[in-house]
Amino acid sequence: MAHLPSFIDATPRFRHPEPLELALPPTQSINASRRSALLVENDKSLLEFLRRFLKDEGYAVRIAKNTEEGFRLYRDCGPFNVVLINYCTPKSEGLGIDCLSPQIHGVQLAMAIRDIDPSQGIIIAATAYRTAGEVPRPKELMDIPLLIDFSIFQLRNLLEKIEVDRAIKGLTSSELLQLQLFAKFRIRGLGRAARGRDWEDLLEEALCRTLIGAKDNQNGRHWNRRVSFVQHLKGAILSIASLWKRQFKEESTYLLSELLSHDAEGKDYSPIDNVASGHTLADQCLIENEEKDRVFGLFMDDSEALQLLRGLMDGLKKTEIVARYDLDEKKYAAALRRIRLKLLSRRNDGSRG
Amino acid sequence: MGAEGRKMADNTNHDWHLETIMNQLGDSVLALSDDGIRAEVSEGGADPDEEAERTRTVLHESLQKLENVNRRLSNLGHTVYSNGWHRGRSGYHNACVTCGSFVSFIPATGEMRGEALDGRCPRRDECTVRRREASR
Repeated sequence: MAHLPSFIDATPRFRHPEPLELALPPTQSINASRRSALLVENDKSLLEFLRRFLKDEGYAVRIAKNTEEGFRLYRDCGPFNVVLINYCTPKSEGLGIDCLSPQIHGVQLAMAIRDIDPSQGIIIAATAYRTAGEVPRPKELMDIPLLIDFSIFQLRNLLEKIEVDRAIKGLTSSELLQLQLFAKFRIRGLGRAARGRDWEDLLEEALCRTLIGAKDNQNGRHWNRRVSFVQHLKGAILSIASLWKRQFKEESTYLLSELLSHDAEGKDYSPIDNVASGHTLADQCLIENEEKDRVFGLFMDDSEALQLLRGLMDGLKKTEIVARYDLDEKKYAAALRRIRLKLLSRRNDGSRG
Repeated sequence: MGAEGRKMADNTNHDWHLETIMNQLGDSVLALSDDGIRAEVSEGGADPDEEAERTRTVLHESLQKLENVNRRLSNLGHTVYSNGWHRGRSGYHNACVTCGSFVSFIPATGEMRGEALDGRCPRRDECTVRRREASR
């Protein structure tokens, strides 16, 4: 607590604020269509800076200069996409910051908001502290992100985290199932290039890439809010799967021991010994063919599924497959369903879980 | 390019066939209706609600892992910008903008490594004093 004067109690007791009885009329909601933010800040220059920043980021901003006003705005207009509270904010209008007392009002406001909506995304700006570990706050608020360095990068990334968290909570069960199955098929498509990673790893990586994907970072994958979160994650999954494939090809990490067999005399031989020498990826070809045969083997008693698989394998579109094999829409959809079900059954899905 | 042309062009790509099949099956999942996908998951022997929540948990855990890295570094006084993460062969790498010490992070395991985790940022005090003086 080296940054706090010694006369300030470093471990103030936090209490929930008294219920506020306000005579002011309710405010109108601005949260119907745009992203919204509540900014609780009493410093004029910081307030203006943050207001402009949030506006530029696409937020409709409500402003409060003290915690009472902040609470009233939240009660009347909340929830917001994000609530940004300065740790050192006075309680009421006309009051300054009392440096002789523990700064508890910002924290109390955060707790009161959490009481109303436990899932509300909140950021506390505590720039007077050197580290997050030094900021006094009750354990209920330990998960709230702190803005220690007043930088655009930090703030933008905290906002991104809150938006992503909100988007995850907002996913419907069918959207979640779509993402899971989509990732499972991508992993199956990767074959050995997945290197033992499963759909969970793919989805985790997609989210990680999103979080580091600020607008100005080439490494991440920024979530452009014009597309849905599901579409964004789908794109990220595709991109990561493609990267894993590229990395695998570059390294061509096949173990010879995986290909070696023994003849009757116990002598080692490899199936690629008989493949044309000009074939640089002969071993890979054999392994992939084996997996392909295994997949086709699952449908030996289902001629329509086999036809559909052949069509898909040849890169045909739905209309082309339907025309080539004289299938109708219903038969096509039913065969596709049977293929998905069989490939994703626990016996055949090839995942670790 | 027509179907035959595509086939000819890709005959040299040995893993293309299986990947094409799986990718198209993956795309077909996105076209399913809400009821359709739930029925399919049920028919596959799983509980759709459980599987949906499992997927949400995977996403939340991933969010939490990166948050844990940021929080741990922040508690030590390091300043690591989220947009400073760079992908490497074995995870993501970053460095404290104040003292320059390195940190790496593997999303799949949540494992963190690097000198930045060894202790408090040595240049943090210096920077805080400078920032405070500038604000006066």
